[in-house]
Amino acid sequence: MTLYTCASANVEQAVVTAFEKAHAGATVNVFRAPTGQLNARVAADARSGGVKADVIWACDPLTMHGYDSQGLLRAWSPTNAADIPSAYRTPHFTGIALLYMVVVVHSGAVAPVSWADLAKPQFRGTVALPSPTFAASALGLLGYFASTPGYGVTYYKQLKSNGAVQVNAPADALTGVEQGTYKAGVTLANAAYTDRKKGSPIEVVWPRPGGVAIYGPIGVTTKKDVSPLGEQFASYAASGAGQKVMAGQGTYVTIPGLGGPPLPSGAATVAPDWPSLFGSYSSVLAKYTGIFGG
Amino acid sequence: MAEPAITHRARIVPRGEQALAAVTVLAIVGLVVVPLTRLTWVAVGGGGSSIMRVLRAPGFGTAAAHSLELAVLVPLLAVPLGTGIALLLRRPDVPGRGGLRVLVVLPLLIPQFVLGYSWTQAYGRAGFTDDLVGVRWTGLNGPAGIVVVLVVDAAPICYLLNTVGLATRAQPQLELAARASGATGWTALRTVTLPLLRPVLAAEFVLTFVATLESFAAPQVLGTPVGYSTVTTRLYTDLAFGSDPNSFRDAVTLALGLVLVAAVILVPADLVLAPRLGSRRTRQSPGGTALRRRSAGTAIMAGLVGAYAAFAVLLPTIALVAAALTRAIGLAPTPSNWTFDNFRAALDAPTRSAFAHSLQLAVLAAFALTLLGAVLAALERHRPGRLLGTVAMLSFAVPGSALAVGLLIAYDRRLGGTLTLILLAYLAKFWALAHRTVSGAVDRLPAGEWQAARTSGAGPIAAVRTVWLPALAPALIGAWLLVFVSALHEVTMSSLLYSTGSETIAVAVLNSQELGSIGTTAALSVTLTAVLLAVVAPAWLLLRLTARRRDIPAARRRELAHAY
Amino acid sequence: MPTETEETMRCVGLQVSYGGVPAVDDLDLTVRPGEVLAVLGASGSGKSTLLHAVAGLVQPSSGEIWLGGRLVATARRSTPPERRDVGLVFQDFALWPHLSAVDTVAYPLRRAGRNRHDARTVAQRLLDQLDIGHLAERRPAELSGGQQQRVGLARALARSPRLFLLDEPTAHLDTHLRAAFQSCVRDRQAATGAAAVYATHDAGEALALADRVALVVDGRLQQVATPEVVYAEPVSVATAVLTGSCTVLQARVAVAPRGGLSVDLGDGPVIVDGGGSLEVDPVQARVLLRPDWVSVDGPLRGRVTTCQFRGTHTDYLLDTGSGPVHVQAPGPPTHAVGQALTWGIRRAWVLGVDEPDVREAVGPQPSAVIAPG
Repeated sequence: MTLYTCASANVEQAVVTAFEKAHAGATVNVFRAPTGQLNARVAADARSGGVKADVIWACDPLTMHGYDSQGLLRAWSPTNAADIPSAYRTPHFTGIALLYMVVVVHSGAVAPVSWADLAKPQFRGTVALPSPTFAASALGLLGYFASTPGYGVTYYKQLKSNGAVQVNAPADALTGVEQGTYKAGVTLANAAYTDRKKGSPIEVVWPRPGGVAIYGPIGVTTKKDVSPLGEQFASYAASGAGQKVMAGQGTYVTIPGLGGPPLPSGAATVAPDWPSLFGSYSSVLAKYTGIFGG
Repeated sequence: MAEPAITHRARIVPRGEQALAAVTVLAIVGLVVVPLTRLTWVAVGGGGSSIMRVLRAPGFGTAAAHSLELAVLVPLLAVPLGTGIALLLRRPDVPGRGGLRVLVVLPLLIPQFVLGYSWTQAYGRAGFTDDLVGVRWTGLNGPAGIVVVLVVDAAPICYLLNTVGLATRAQPQLELAARASGATGWTALRTVTLPLLRPVLAAEFVLTFVATLESFAAPQVLGTPVGYSTVTTRLYTDLAFGSDPNSFRDAVTLALGLVLVAAVILVPADLVLAPRLGSRRTRQSPGGTALRRRSAGTAIMAGLVGAYAAFAVLLPTIALVAAALTRAIGLAPTPSNWTFDNFRAALDAPTRSAFAHSLQLAVLAAFALTLLGAVLAALERHRPGRLLGTVAMLSFAVPGSALAVGLLIAYDRRLGGTLTLILLAYLAKFWALAHRTVSGAVDRLPAGEWQAARTSGAGPIAAVRTVWLPALAPALIGAWLLVFVSALHEVTMSSLLYSTGSETIAVAVLNSQELGSIGTTAALSVTLTAVLLAVVAPAWLLLRLTARRRDIPAARRRELAHAY
Repeated sequence: MPTETEETMRCVGLQVSYGGVPAVDDLDLTVRPGEVLAVLGASGSGKSTLLHAVAGLVQPSSGEIWLGGRLVATARRSTPPERRDVGLVFQDFALWPHLSAVDTVAYPLRRAGRNRHDARTVAQRLLDQLDIGHLAERRPAELSGGQQQRVGLARALARSPRLFLLDEPTAHLDTHLRAAFQSCVRDRQAATGAAAVYATHDAGEALALADRVALVVDGRLQQVATPEVVYAEPVSVATAVLTGSCTVLQARVAVAPRGGLSVDLGDGPVIVDGGGSLEVDPVQARVLLRPDWVSVDGPLRGRVTTCQFRGTHTDYLLDTGSGPVHVQAPGPPTHAVGQALTWGIRRAWVLGVDEPDVREAVGPQPSAVIAPG
């Protein structure tokens, strides 16, 4: 079977290896690429005889929704669907991994208590913000704030006028804070914890109302002669065993309580309203680029 | 005068010429026309609605203006810079010439994908200069920074092409004649050396223009913080949302727009301008020796080149090496924080096999394109040939992601998942690099040499080997080097075209990049640079040897050795 | 001190080195106004280096170069070529591939500050004077060798310098083009009244063109004199072979009581014209014979080794008891190879004993015989 994915290499490799071990004789061909390249590959496939992957494991629901609306995904639910919160499930794909957008601050810098603090004078000119035109996780964050009372797109206006700097990926924001280029930045919790463990001078902060969750969904394609291994792999990745393997790589997963770096006490998580974002992302994005350019 | 004037034009390869032309046309169709046609179908797939959508999208005008502004500015700065350095380093009396020559080409060996990081780390807030002397370059993020990084990136190519051009075109004898006719050094440069270099300068300008138009990494990294977008960064955004068919179509439309802009510049430049720039050599003129006069100006200029090299190469490279050796980002690069973990992570077993694939592909592409580039350059002596040269350049203007999509649509069914498909992509993308490097030297081949070889009993192949190859050697080696380096650094297309069993180094690069592990990425590119140096250094040496030999033919050198 | 302004060019103790190896060494040479000086030397003897040093293209490692009473080059400072009053014609033409003939010739005029139109008009006139006015718009690739070198000459003429430097300008020309080019040079030089230094390895060219000939061997000046003197009274074998074919034999020589020279090759003394380094008492010395100083009739015995008919004359190589002798006789061959004959000497030149050159005799192969004039 063939897997198209944008999950990070170490996570994806761990799951594939565990699956191949559990299913004697199964081999998984992997095409792993950032979302942009993944999209290009799928689009090219669609124009030369149909998608060649049996399973697609994306990094964000929006991309997956795009594939779904092109009719590339078949109706499928993992065997352990009941274990996974319904917010992470649609009739065609199911969330297995979780990314949390949080704040990192350079060691010794004041930590924000709430997201709104980033727009306050003590953070003037020192916040790095990943661009939603570049990274889907950043778009998830934008989507969350756009539809949250008390924030809205105005929040981004405030950030901009407070001198927040747009960078490309959450990883760039993390690097910037580690280097000391910025005092604070918005990035992914698991990556921040990994670097902190290595010794990078940063603190991870979960501002109120909470870290913003972006789920990574998996689904089975409508490829004509789809391999029976496809559904098995997708179900394995969604299963407790599969998610434990991912958690072992430092990733958060969708089955509650199954691992990833422990959240600090009092930390909460929130999530964007994905179904409504499917329809509105381009207009929200347009408003955003009106503020930050790009 | 009884001696007949040479007025007829030489046939390129009598008899074999048509076969070569046929092969070239076939290659152009397969590598350029077919993928571009496929892309055009994609773009008009929605009934052409994407064109209006792209044009009307907010910010498109600004992005297009930015792209053009960069594409004009960068060559205007990079070509004179590369030319000035090449002219200066040609002088034998420049102090530290050998070291400067290496430093000046070094940016070529540093991959684009770490360019942004190494510059920010060197000159940005909390970077080297900020930490050490409290000086940081606030303009680094924004158009000024993008221009500087792109110029530094392009200057080595211009320098290389000029070195080749000077070796094959500007015999010192001709400059001496100008000096002996009353021209000062500067006037001789302006009226003789630079006019002789015109075809090379034109090739550099065109290459840099198109490369800048298509550049993505620098505008993306340095433009984002100030909201400076270009056509390519917009294309990337469209691709990021490309699971929506409209976004994907918009991305392809943008890519084709770049091709269109490139074509608008290239067609008149190649068909009208280029033929007027060339100048056929008349006889095997011995080099003579460059004018030898010690001057304080030389030392000052050498100092300036040294300062440039330190600014553009040394500090960013140190930043890169420091990142590769440091345990975690943000820690001081002191011995207590040193580690080889990054290299270990960068050189695990799958990455090693990816290295092998990349090397194999780069070597193959370099040889194939040196040949194809030379053939194309030879065919350019006729008008239809020049058109072929223009067309071959178009695929250089297509952003890698779009070109890869075109190739996938065209060939995936037959070649999907093979290294051959990636090789095709490299051939399509870098053909122009090889071709433009060689074409600056091909009009130097006098008709007589070919005829003399044939009438001395050499077959066509022997004649090419014995007469043309030595004459073109600097250009061919230069082309080989450029293609090899570019292919080894290629990330976008390879990461889109690979599959299990045909991974290239690009896959490892993107893996580590996505994880945000600058340390691993830096270790990868340091390793890549080391590998490149191991391959490139001998080739570079060879280039310099052949260039020198070209200056003064062997027999004449013996005579000179005796005479002087 | 070399300050007299009547000298167009003066080199004093000139040395030019490349990588520590002197190409021109300890050279003293003057050129007077209006004079044509030929620098005759084998290829690689330093002729080009000398001219390039005078033109300012290389800097001396020691010594001085004066032009028109102005010191232009020492080891420490050097006037750049564009500020020296010279016009240089290159061996390899060195025409710019990107410029037409008329633009090439206009180039020095433009550098001298003339406007484009003026410069081109003058250039066209110069090309007309050299009979290539109709080729004005052609580029070098469209010109033959002879035409190219005329353009090169016109370019040098356009500077109207007081000194022309011609660096083997005919080396790449056919024989019939050489004569035409030489007369062209002589005409223009006479018309402008400028001096010229003409480097060549061709004895005929040097002797025919020059007022004086400077002989250079291995970067050192050996002899400077009129063409007649350098031919008839060479200072060494090395210089003698530069100006034409010759034969060197061992003989007992002395001043003849009634003038002239007594030469004894073993068959008894013969009295001939000539001179050289002589003593009153007969001594063993090396005697130089030119082919035109010897005849196929006289008191001496020999045998014909080779015989070559040259049209105006016939070259014989004779086997004599003293060694091979090259003889030039007018008219068609009168003796066959192998045939015994008698021969005579009209003139001889006695070489100094302490001459550094140790070659005993130069027995010219008939094929390599150079027939001056």
